[in-house]
Amino acid sequence: MRKKCLLAALLTWVTISKTIGQPPIHPPAGAVLDVGIRFQKSISFYTENGITAQYAHPKLVSKRLFLGLSYITSRLGTAFQSNAIKQDNFLVSAGYYFRPNWVVRPMARLNVGYFAAHYANPLFDELPKTSPLASPEFGLCYCPDVPLKINASIGYNLLTGNGVTGPGTLYPVFVQTSVTWNILKNSKN
Amino acid sequence: MKTVICLLLLAVMGIACSSEPAITTEMLDGGTLFDPSIYKPESYLVSKAIPNPTPDQAKKPVIIACHGYSATTFEWDEFRAWANGPTDFYLSQVLLGGHGRSYDDFKKSTWHDWQAAIMEEYDRLVKSGYTNISLLGSSTSGALLLELVSSGYFANRLAPRTILLVDPIVVPSDKSLSLVGLVGPMLGYFETQQSVSEDKVFFHFRPQETLQQLQNVLTIVRKDLEKGITLPSGCTMKVYKSKKDSSADPVSAVLIDQGTKTADGSPIAVELIDSELHVYTRLNLRDQITVKDRQNQTATFTDIVRQVLR
Repeated sequence: MRKKCLLAALLTWVTISKTIGQPPIHPPAGAVLDVGIRFQKSISFYTENGITAQYAHPKLVSKRLFLGLSYITSRLGTAFQSNAIKQDNFLVSAGYYFRPNWVVRPMARLNVGYFAAHYANPLFDELPKTSPLASPEFGLCYCPDVPLKINASIGYNLLTGNGVTGPGTLYPVFVQTSVTWNILKNSKN
Repeated sequence: MKTVICLLLLAVMGIACSSEPAITTEMLDGGTLFDPSIYKPESYLVSKAIPNPTPDQAKKPVIIACHGYSATTFEWDEFRAWANGPTDFYLSQVLLGGHGRSYDDFKKSTWHDWQAAIMEEYDRLVKSGYTNISLLGSSTSGALLLELVSSGYFANRLAPRTILLVDPIVVPSDKSLSLVGLVGPMLGYFETQQSVSEDKVFFHFRPQETLQQLQNVLTIVRKDLEKGITLPSGCTMKVYKSKKDSSADPVSAVLIDQGTKTADGSPIAVELIDSELHVYTRLNLRDQITVKDRQNQTATFTDIVRQVLR
Protein backbone atom coordinates (compact mmCIF):
# COMPACT_ATOMS: atom_id res chain seq x y z
CA MET A 1 0.00 0.00 0.00
CA ARG A 2 2.81 2.38 0.98
CA LYS A 3 4.66 1.53 -2.24
CA LYS A 4 1.54 2.38 -4.28
CA CYS A 5 1.20 5.72 -2.51
CA LEU A 6 4.86 6.53 -3.11
CA LEU A 7 4.54 5.57 -6.77
CA ALA A 8 1.44 7.73 -7.18
CA ALA A 9 3.18 10.67 -5.49
CA LEU A 10 6.22 10.22 -7.70
CA LEU A 11 4.16 10.07 -10.88
CA THR A 12 2.23 13.16 -9.83
CA TRP A 13 5.44 15.03 -9.10
CA VAL A 14 7.02 13.99 -12.42
CA THR A 15 3.86 14.99 -14.31
CA ILE A 16 3.54 18.35 -12.64
CA SER A 17 7.23 19.19 -12.83
CA LYS A 18 7.29 18.34 -16.53
CA THR A 19 4.15 20.21 -17.41
CA ILE A 20 4.88 23.39 -15.48
CA GLY A 21 7.92 23.99 -17.62
CA GLN A 22 6.05 23.54 -20.86
CA PRO A 23 4.99 26.43 -23.01
CA PRO A 24 1.25 26.94 -23.39
CA ILE A 25 -0.34 24.74 -26.02
CA HIS A 26 -2.83 25.85 -28.58
CA PRO A 27 -6.21 24.21 -28.61
CA PRO A 28 -7.27 22.59 -31.90
CA ALA A 29 -9.47 24.46 -34.28
CA GLY A 30 -11.98 21.67 -34.90
CA ALA A 31 -14.32 19.60 -32.78
CA VAL A 32 -12.98 17.19 -30.17
CA LEU A 33 -14.34 13.74 -29.42
CA ASP A 34 -12.47 12.10 -26.54
CA VAL A 35 -13.11 8.40 -26.09
CA GLY A 36 -11.54 6.27 -23.40
CA ILE A 37 -11.77 4.39 -20.16
CA ARG A 38 -12.82 5.56 -16.73
CA PHE A 39 -11.63 4.09 -13.43
CA GLN A 40 -13.69 4.98 -10.38
CA LYS A 41 -13.40 4.10 -6.70
CA SER A 42 -15.94 4.96 -4.04
CA ILE A 43 -14.18 5.85 -0.82
CA SER A 44 -14.32 2.79 1.47
CA PHE A 45 -16.31 0.84 -1.09
CA TYR A 46 -16.30 -0.59 -4.59
CA THR A 47 -14.10 0.00 -7.59
CA GLU A 48 -16.16 0.49 -10.75
CA ASN A 49 -14.68 0.87 -14.20
CA GLY A 50 -16.04 1.47 -17.66
CA ILE A 51 -16.02 3.62 -20.76
CA THR A 52 -16.40 7.34 -21.27
CA ALA A 53 -16.72 9.78 -24.14
CA GLN A 54 -16.97 13.55 -24.30
CA TYR A 55 -17.49 15.99 -27.12
CA ALA A 56 -16.59 19.65 -27.55
CA HIS A 57 -17.32 21.93 -30.46
CA PRO A 58 -15.52 25.21 -31.26
CA LYS A 59 -18.82 27.06 -31.18
CA LEU A 60 -19.69 25.68 -27.76
CA VAL A 61 -18.28 28.05 -25.11
CA SER A 62 -14.93 28.31 -26.91
CA LYS A 63 -14.45 24.57 -26.59
CA ARG A 64 -14.25 24.74 -22.85
CA LEU A 65 -17.54 22.94 -22.45
CA PHE A 66 -17.57 19.17 -22.95
CA LEU A 67 -20.72 17.08 -23.09
CA GLY A 68 -20.15 13.47 -22.15
CA LEU A 69 -21.51 9.99 -21.65
CA SER A 70 -20.10 7.32 -19.34
CA TYR A 71 -20.93 3.81 -18.33
CA ILE A 72 -19.16 2.37 -15.31
CA THR A 73 -19.87 -0.86 -13.53
CA SER A 74 -18.64 -2.98 -10.66
CA ARG A 75 -18.72 -5.91 -13.13
CA LEU A 76 -15.41 -4.51 -14.44
CA GLY A 77 -14.22 -3.71 -10.93
CA THR A 78 -14.83 -5.21 -7.52
CA ALA A 79 -17.57 -7.59 -8.71
CA PHE A 80 -15.35 -9.13 -11.40
CA GLN A 81 -15.13 -12.80 -10.44
CA SER A 82 -16.24 -12.08 -6.87
CA ASN A 83 -19.41 -12.14 -4.77
CA ALA A 84 -19.68 -8.35 -4.76
CA ILE A 85 -22.92 -6.80 -5.95
CA LYS A 86 -23.10 -6.12 -9.66
CA GLN A 87 -24.13 -2.53 -10.22
CA ASP A 88 -24.22 -0.21 -13.20
CA ASN A 89 -23.94 3.57 -13.48
CA PHE A 90 -25.11 5.41 -16.61
CA LEU A 91 -23.95 9.04 -16.65
CA VAL A 92 -24.56 12.10 -18.81
CA SER A 93 -22.20 14.92 -18.00
CA ALA A 94 -21.35 18.52 -18.71
CA GLY A 95 -17.71 19.41 -18.02
CA TYR A 96 -16.07 22.80 -18.07
CA TYR A 97 -12.30 23.06 -18.62
CA PHE A 98 -10.66 26.21 -17.34
CA ARG A 99 -7.45 27.60 -18.83
CA PRO A 100 -7.72 25.86 -22.23
CA ASN A 101 -4.14 26.81 -23.14
CA TRP A 102 -2.62 25.15 -20.10
CA VAL A 103 -1.23 21.65 -20.13
CA VAL A 104 -2.81 20.95 -16.73
CA ARG A 105 -6.32 22.37 -16.71
CA PRO A 106 -8.64 22.66 -13.74
CA MET A 107 -12.01 21.22 -14.54
CA ALA A 108 -15.49 20.94 -13.07
CA ARG A 109 -18.16 18.51 -14.17
CA LEU A 110 -21.77 17.82 -13.34
CA ASN A 111 -23.04 14.27 -13.81
CA VAL A 112 -26.62 13.09 -13.81
CA GLY A 113 -27.73 9.58 -14.56
CA TYR A 114 -29.16 6.30 -13.41
CA PHE A 115 -27.89 3.67 -10.98
CA ALA A 116 -29.02 0.05 -10.84
CA ALA A 117 -27.82 -2.72 -8.51
CA HIS A 118 -28.56 -6.38 -9.18
CA TYR A 119 -29.16 -8.72 -6.25
CA ALA A 120 -28.76 -12.40 -7.08
CA ASN A 121 -31.51 -13.62 -4.71
CA PRO A 122 -35.12 -12.64 -5.62
CA LEU A 123 -35.80 -12.45 -1.86
CA PHE A 124 -34.21 -9.00 -1.95
CA ASP A 125 -36.36 -7.66 -4.80
CA GLU A 126 -38.25 -5.46 -2.35
CA LEU A 127 -35.09 -3.62 -1.24
CA PRO A 128 -34.18 -0.38 -3.05
CA LYS A 129 -31.84 -1.07 -5.94
CA THR A 130 -32.22 1.77 -8.41
CA SER A 131 -31.68 5.47 -8.04
CA PRO A 132 -31.15 8.63 -10.05
CA LEU A 133 -27.59 9.90 -9.91
CA ALA A 134 -26.39 13.47 -9.46
CA SER A 135 -22.80 14.32 -8.70
CA PRO A 136 -20.50 17.32 -9.06
CA GLU A 137 -16.85 16.56 -9.78
CA PHE A 138 -13.76 18.72 -9.47
CA GLY A 139 -10.28 17.91 -10.64
CA LEU A 140 -7.44 18.40 -13.06
CA CYS A 141 -6.90 17.34 -16.63
CA TYR A 142 -3.47 16.65 -18.05
CA CYS A 143 -3.82 17.67 -21.70
CA PRO A 144 -0.46 17.45 -23.51
CA ASP A 145 0.03 18.56 -27.11
CA VAL A 146 -1.19 15.22 -28.42
CA PRO A 147 -4.80 13.93 -28.54
CA LEU A 148 -4.41 12.34 -25.07
CA LYS A 149 -6.21 13.51 -21.95
CA ILE A 150 -5.72 12.17 -18.44
CA ASN A 151 -8.34 13.43 -16.08
CA ALA A 152 -8.38 12.92 -12.31
CA SER A 153 -11.13 14.24 -10.10
CA ILE A 154 -13.05 13.81 -6.90
CA GLY A 155 -16.83 13.63 -6.93
CA TYR A 156 -19.73 13.60 -4.54
CA ASN A 157 -22.92 11.63 -5.06
CA LEU A 158 -25.74 13.84 -3.82
CA LEU A 159 -28.11 10.86 -3.68
CA THR A 160 -27.04 7.79 -1.67
CA GLY A 161 -28.62 4.95 0.24
CA ASN A 162 -29.44 5.53 3.91
CA GLY A 163 -30.91 2.22 4.97
CA VAL A 164 -34.45 3.44 4.47
CA THR A 165 -34.42 4.86 0.95
CA GLY A 166 -31.94 4.44 -1.87
CA PRO A 167 -29.67 1.53 -2.75
CA GLY A 168 -27.29 0.70 0.09
CA THR A 169 -24.29 0.32 -2.19
CA LEU A 170 -24.46 3.88 -3.50
CA TYR A 171 -21.70 5.71 -1.61
CA PRO A 172 -21.12 9.47 -1.45
CA VAL A 173 -17.49 10.29 -2.23
CA PHE A 174 -15.61 8.85 -5.18
CA VAL A 175 -12.39 9.48 -7.03
CA GLN A 176 -12.03 8.82 -10.72
CA THR A 177 -9.38 8.80 -13.38
CA SER A 178 -10.19 8.75 -17.06
CA VAL A 179 -7.78 8.28 -19.93
CA THR A 180 -9.13 9.38 -23.29
CA TRP A 181 -7.99 9.91 -26.85
CA ASN A 182 -9.35 12.46 -29.27
CA ILE A 183 -10.49 10.31 -32.19
CA LEU A 184 -11.02 13.30 -34.47
CA LYS A 185 -7.37 13.03 -35.34
CA ASN A 186 -7.08 16.18 -37.39
CA SER A 187 -7.24 18.14 -34.20
CA LYS A 188 -5.39 18.09 -30.89
CA ASN A 189 -6.63 18.89 -27.43
CA MET B 1 -8.27 40.48 4.82
CA LYS B 2 -5.95 37.49 4.53
CA THR B 3 -5.19 37.71 8.25
CA VAL B 4 -8.89 37.69 9.10
CA ILE B 5 -9.47 34.63 6.92
CA CYS B 6 -6.49 32.87 8.51
CA LEU B 7 -7.79 33.65 12.00
CA LEU B 8 -11.26 32.43 11.07
CA LEU B 9 -9.80 29.22 9.69
CA LEU B 10 -7.77 28.70 12.85
CA ALA B 11 -10.86 29.31 14.97
CA VAL B 12 -12.89 26.79 12.95
CA MET B 13 -10.07 24.25 13.20
CA GLY B 14 -9.78 24.92 16.91
CA ILE B 15 -13.48 24.31 17.46
CA ALA B 16 -13.38 21.24 15.24
CA CYS B 17 -10.39 19.74 17.00
CA SER B 18 -11.54 20.72 20.45
CA SER B 19 -12.97 18.52 22.65
CA GLU B 20 -13.78 16.23 25.29
CA PRO B 21 -17.39 15.17 25.42
CA ALA B 22 -19.68 16.44 28.16
CA ILE B 23 -20.00 13.13 29.98
CA THR B 24 -22.12 12.93 33.12
CA THR B 25 -22.19 10.27 35.83
CA GLU B 26 -25.69 9.38 34.65
CA MET B 27 -24.21 7.98 31.46
CA LEU B 28 -22.59 4.63 30.81
CA ASP B 29 -19.69 6.66 29.44
CA GLY B 30 -19.02 8.22 32.85
CA GLY B 31 -17.09 5.40 34.50
CA THR B 32 -19.53 5.08 37.40
CA LEU B 33 -22.20 2.92 35.75
CA PHE B 34 -21.00 -0.47 34.57
CA ASP B 35 -22.54 -3.35 32.74
CA PRO B 36 -23.95 -5.74 35.40
CA SER B 37 -22.09 -8.69 33.88
CA ILE B 38 -18.89 -7.17 35.23
CA TYR B 39 -20.18 -7.48 38.81
CA LYS B 40 -21.95 -10.82 38.41
CA PRO B 41 -20.46 -12.73 35.51
CA GLU B 42 -22.07 -15.97 36.72
CA SER B 43 -25.49 -14.44 36.00
CA TYR B 44 -24.55 -13.80 32.37
CA LEU B 45 -21.93 -16.33 31.33
CA VAL B 46 -22.63 -20.07 31.34
CA SER B 47 -18.91 -20.78 31.62
CA LYS B 48 -18.91 -18.96 34.96
CA ALA B 49 -22.28 -20.25 36.19
CA ILE B 50 -21.62 -23.92 35.39
CA PRO B 51 -17.87 -24.31 34.87
CA ASN B 52 -18.00 -28.08 35.51
CA PRO B 53 -21.13 -29.37 33.76
CA THR B 54 -22.48 -32.87 34.20
CA PRO B 55 -22.57 -34.99 31.03
CA ASP B 56 -26.25 -34.07 30.55
CA GLN B 57 -25.58 -30.38 31.10
CA ALA B 58 -22.65 -30.48 28.68
CA LYS B 59 -24.97 -31.77 25.94
CA LYS B 60 -27.52 -29.02 26.44
CA PRO B 61 -27.38 -26.31 23.75
CA VAL B 62 -25.69 -23.07 24.75
CA ILE B 63 -26.37 -19.81 22.93
CA ILE B 64 -23.67 -17.17 23.14
CA ALA B 65 -25.50 -13.87 22.59
CA CYS B 66 -23.35 -10.90 21.55
CA HIS B 67 -24.44 -7.29 21.37
CA GLY B 68 -23.66 -4.49 18.95
CA TYR B 69 -21.30 -1.52 18.81
CA SER B 70 -21.64 0.82 21.83
CA ALA B 71 -24.27 -1.44 23.44
CA THR B 72 -24.11 -3.79 26.42
CA THR B 73 -25.52 -7.14 27.55
CA PHE B 74 -28.79 -5.23 27.94
CA GLU B 75 -29.41 -5.81 24.24
CA TRP B 76 -30.22 -9.49 24.86
CA ASP B 77 -31.91 -9.15 28.29
CA GLU B 78 -35.34 -9.47 26.70
CA PHE B 79 -34.38 -12.78 25.14
CA ARG B 80 -33.35 -14.06 28.57
CA ALA B 81 -36.60 -12.75 30.07
CA TRP B 82 -38.64 -14.29 27.25
CA ALA B 83 -36.97 -17.66 27.80
CA ASN B 84 -37.31 -17.39 31.57
CA GLY B 85 -37.91 -20.58 33.52
CA PRO B 86 -37.01 -24.12 32.58
CA THR B 87 -35.57 -23.99 29.11
CA ASP B 88 -34.02 -26.38 26.69
CA PHE B 89 -30.91 -24.26 26.36
CA TYR B 90 -28.46 -22.11 28.28
CA LEU B 91 -27.90 -18.46 27.42
CA SER B 92 -24.51 -16.79 27.73
CA GLN B 93 -24.63 -13.00 27.35
CA VAL B 94 -21.18 -11.74 26.42
CA LEU B 95 -20.05 -8.18 27.04
CA LEU B 96 -17.80 -7.18 24.14
CA GLY B 97 -14.30 -6.01 25.05
CA GLY B 98 -13.98 -2.27 25.66
CA HIS B 99 -17.74 -1.97 26.20
CA GLY B 100 -19.85 -1.38 29.29
CA ARG B 101 -17.18 0.37 31.35
CA SER B 102 -16.27 3.95 30.44
CA TYR B 103 -15.72 6.28 27.51
CA ASP B 104 -11.95 6.07 27.99
CA ASP B 105 -11.93 2.28 27.99
CA PHE B 106 -14.11 2.29 24.91
CA LYS B 107 -11.89 4.83 23.16
CA LYS B 108 -8.80 2.69 23.69
CA SER B 109 -10.37 -0.52 22.44
CA THR B 110 -9.98 -2.10 19.01
CA TRP B 111 -12.35 -4.41 17.17
CA HIS B 112 -10.01 -7.26 18.10
CA ASP B 113 -10.72 -6.43 21.77
CA TRP B 114 -14.45 -6.43 21.09
CA GLN B 115 -14.20 -9.83 19.43
CA ALA B 116 -11.86 -11.34 22.05
CA ALA B 117 -14.65 -11.53 24.64
CA ILE B 118 -16.64 -13.82 22.33
CA MET B 119 -13.66 -16.08 21.74
CA GLU B 120 -12.90 -16.24 25.47
CA GLU B 121 -16.40 -17.42 26.33
CA TYR B 122 -16.43 -19.88 23.44
CA ASP B 123 -13.07 -21.35 24.48
CA ARG B 124 -14.11 -21.58 28.14
CA LEU B 125 -17.28 -23.46 27.18
CA VAL B 126 -15.42 -25.86 24.90
CA LYS B 127 -12.80 -26.44 27.58
CA SER B 128 -15.54 -27.14 30.12
CA GLY B 129 -16.92 -29.83 27.84
CA TYR B 130 -19.97 -28.20 26.26
CA THR B 131 -20.60 -29.80 22.89
CA ASN B 132 -23.55 -27.90 21.43
CA ILE B 133 -22.75 -24.21 21.14
CA SER B 134 -24.51 -21.66 18.93
CA LEU B 135 -23.69 -18.03 18.32
CA LEU B 136 -26.22 -15.21 18.24
CA GLY B 137 -25.02 -11.75 17.22
CA SER B 138 -26.71 -8.42 16.71
CA SER B 139 -25.46 -5.58 14.54
CA THR B 140 -21.66 -5.26 14.81
CA SER B 141 -21.42 -8.68 16.43
CA GLY B 142 -22.67 -10.01 13.10
CA ALA B 143 -19.53 -8.66 11.47
CA LEU B 144 -17.36 -9.93 14.34
CA LEU B 145 -18.79 -13.45 14.03
CA LEU B 146 -18.38 -13.48 10.25
CA GLU B 147 -14.77 -12.42 10.69
CA LEU B 148 -14.31 -15.18 13.25
CA VAL B 149 -15.44 -17.73 10.65
CA SER B 150 -13.45 -16.29 7.76
CA SER B 151 -10.27 -16.04 9.85
CA GLY B 152 -10.35 -19.80 10.41
CA TYR B 153 -10.91 -19.57 14.15
CA PHE B 154 -13.12 -22.67 14.10
CA ALA B 155 -10.79 -24.70 11.89
CA ASN B 156 -9.26 -26.61 14.79
CA ARG B 157 -12.09 -26.24 17.27
CA LEU B 158 -15.54 -27.58 17.88
CA ALA B 159 -17.71 -25.94 15.22
CA PRO B 160 -20.72 -23.92 16.36
CA ARG B 161 -24.07 -25.64 15.69
CA THR B 162 -25.57 -22.53 14.14
CA ILE B 163 -24.81 -18.83 13.76
CA LEU B 164 -27.77 -16.47 13.95
CA LEU B 165 -27.42 -12.82 13.02
CA VAL B 166 -29.98 -10.14 13.87
CA ASP B 167 -29.58 -6.95 11.82
CA PRO B 168 -25.92 -7.65 11.08
CA ILE B 169 -23.97 -4.73 9.69
CA VAL B 170 -21.60 -4.93 6.76
CA VAL B 171 -22.70 -1.73 5.05
CA PRO B 172 -23.60 1.16 7.35
CA SER B 173 -26.76 3.12 6.61
CA ASP B 174 -24.98 6.35 7.46
CA LYS B 175 -22.50 6.47 4.61
CA SER B 176 -20.50 9.23 6.31
CA LEU B 177 -18.82 6.38 8.23
CA SER B 178 -16.84 5.81 5.03
CA LEU B 179 -15.18 9.19 5.65
CA VAL B 180 -14.47 8.74 9.35
CA GLY B 181 -10.75 8.33 8.72
CA LEU B 182 -10.72 11.85 7.29
CA VAL B 183 -13.23 13.79 9.37
CA GLY B 184 -13.04 11.72 12.56
CA PRO B 185 -9.77 13.18 13.87
CA MET B 186 -11.16 16.70 13.33
CA LEU B 187 -14.32 16.01 15.28
CA GLY B 188 -13.01 13.73 18.04
CA TYR B 189 -16.29 12.04 18.84
CA PHE B 190 -19.90 11.73 17.72
CA GLU B 191 -22.94 12.16 19.92
CA THR B 192 -26.02 9.97 19.67
CA GLN B 193 -29.57 11.07 20.27
CA GLN B 194 -31.04 8.70 22.81
CA SER B 195 -33.09 8.82 25.98
CA VAL B 196 -31.69 9.27 29.47
CA SER B 197 -32.60 5.65 30.19
CA GLU B 198 -30.75 4.45 27.13
CA ASP B 199 -27.73 6.49 28.20
CA LYS B 200 -27.28 4.00 31.05
CA VAL B 201 -26.97 0.96 28.80
CA PHE B 202 -25.63 2.39 25.54
CA PHE B 203 -22.69 4.76 25.18
CA HIS B 204 -23.89 8.30 24.55
CA PHE B 205 -20.64 9.41 22.91
CA ARG B 206 -18.84 7.51 20.21
CA PRO B 207 -15.09 8.17 20.04
CA GLN B 208 -13.95 8.56 16.46
CA GLU B 209 -11.23 6.00 17.14
CA THR B 210 -13.87 3.34 17.72
CA LEU B 211 -15.76 4.38 14.60
CA GLN B 212 -12.56 3.91 12.65
CA GLN B 213 -12.27 0.47 14.22
CA LEU B 214 -15.84 -0.24 13.16
CA GLN B 215 -15.11 0.90 9.62
CA ASN B 216 -11.98 -1.30 9.59
CA VAL B 217 -13.77 -4.48 10.59
CA LEU B 218 -16.65 -3.79 8.19
CA THR B 219 -14.18 -3.38 5.32
CA ILE B 220 -12.42 -6.62 6.24
CA VAL B 221 -15.68 -8.53 6.41
CA ARG B 222 -16.98 -7.03 3.15
CA LYS B 223 -13.82 -8.09 1.36
CA ASP B 224 -13.99 -11.56 2.95
CA LEU B 225 -17.56 -11.88 1.69
CA GLU B 226 -16.47 -10.81 -1.78
CA LYS B 227 -13.99 -13.69 -1.79
CA GLY B 228 -16.48 -16.05 -0.17
CA ILE B 229 -16.89 -17.32 3.39
CA THR B 230 -17.50 -21.02 4.00
CA LEU B 231 -19.07 -22.08 7.28
CA PRO B 232 -17.46 -24.87 9.30
CA SER B 233 -18.74 -28.37 8.60
CA GLY B 234 -22.09 -29.00 10.26
CA CYS B 235 -22.73 -25.31 10.96
CA THR B 236 -25.74 -23.42 9.60
CA MET B 237 -26.48 -19.71 9.46
CA LYS B 238 -29.58 -17.57 9.44
CA VAL B 239 -29.80 -13.81 9.01
CA TYR B 240 -32.78 -11.80 10.30
CA LYS B 241 -32.79 -8.33 8.76
CA SER B 242 -35.13 -5.36 9.11
CA LYS B 243 -36.29 -4.16 5.71
CA LYS B 244 -35.60 -0.58 6.77
CA ASP B 245 -32.80 0.18 9.18
CA SER B 246 -31.11 3.52 9.77
CA SER B 247 -28.00 1.89 11.27
CA ALA B 248 -27.22 -1.32 9.37
CA ASP B 249 -28.19 -0.95 5.73
CA PRO B 250 -30.46 -3.84 4.66
CA VAL B 251 -28.10 -4.42 1.75
CA SER B 252 -25.80 -5.97 4.39
CA ALA B 253 -28.05 -9.05 4.22
CA VAL B 254 -27.56 -9.18 0.44
CA LEU B 255 -23.78 -9.17 0.85
CA ILE B 256 -23.90 -11.89 3.51
CA ASP B 257 -26.28 -13.99 1.43
CA GLN B 258 -24.14 -13.70 -1.71
CA GLY B 259 -20.87 -14.22 0.14
CA THR B 260 -21.57 -17.07 2.58
CA LYS B 261 -22.12 -20.76 1.96
CA THR B 262 -22.35 -23.79 4.20
CA ALA B 263 -19.59 -26.40 4.08
CA ASP B 264 -21.57 -28.44 1.53
CA GLY B 265 -22.08 -25.37 -0.68
CA SER B 266 -25.71 -24.71 0.28
CA PRO B 267 -26.97 -21.15 0.68
CA ILE B 268 -27.62 -19.71 4.11
CA ALA B 269 -31.11 -18.75 5.31
CA VAL B 270 -32.24 -15.12 5.28
CA GLU B 271 -35.49 -13.63 6.55
CA LEU B 272 -36.43 -10.03 5.87
CA ILE B 273 -38.41 -8.57 8.75
CA ASP B 274 -41.13 -5.99 8.22
CA SER B 275 -39.59 -3.50 10.63
CA GLU B 276 -37.88 -0.12 10.67
CA LEU B 277 -35.99 -0.76 13.92
CA HIS B 278 -32.32 -1.54 14.21
CA VAL B 279 -31.92 -4.70 16.31
CA TYR B 280 -35.68 -5.06 16.34
CA THR B 281 -35.41 -7.79 18.98
CA ARG B 282 -34.57 -5.13 21.57
CA LEU B 283 -37.74 -3.19 22.40
CA ASN B 284 -37.21 -2.09 25.99
CA LEU B 285 -36.51 1.65 26.42
CA ARG B 286 -37.71 2.49 22.92
CA ASP B 287 -40.08 5.44 22.64
CA GLN B 288 -42.80 3.81 20.61
CA ILE B 289 -43.46 0.14 20.16
CA THR B 290 -46.19 -1.25 17.97
CA VAL B 291 -48.02 -4.56 18.16
CA LYS B 292 -46.15 -5.53 15.01
CA ASP B 293 -42.82 -4.89 16.78
CA ARG B 294 -43.84 -7.25 19.59
CA GLN B 295 -44.91 -9.87 17.08
CA ASN B 296 -41.60 -9.58 15.24
CA GLN B 297 -39.66 -9.95 18.47
CA THR B 298 -41.59 -13.01 19.64
CA ALA B 299 -41.47 -14.66 16.22
CA THR B 300 -37.72 -14.20 16.01
CA PHE B 301 -37.06 -15.42 19.56
CA THR B 302 -39.16 -18.50 18.79
CA ASP B 303 -37.32 -19.10 15.53
CA ILE B 304 -33.91 -18.64 17.19
CA VAL B 305 -34.76 -21.37 19.68
CA ARG B 306 -36.09 -23.58 16.89
CA GLN B 307 -32.85 -23.13 14.93
CA VAL B 308 -30.74 -23.96 17.97
CA LEU B 309 -32.74 -27.01 19.07
CA ARG B 310 -33.25 -28.70 15.72
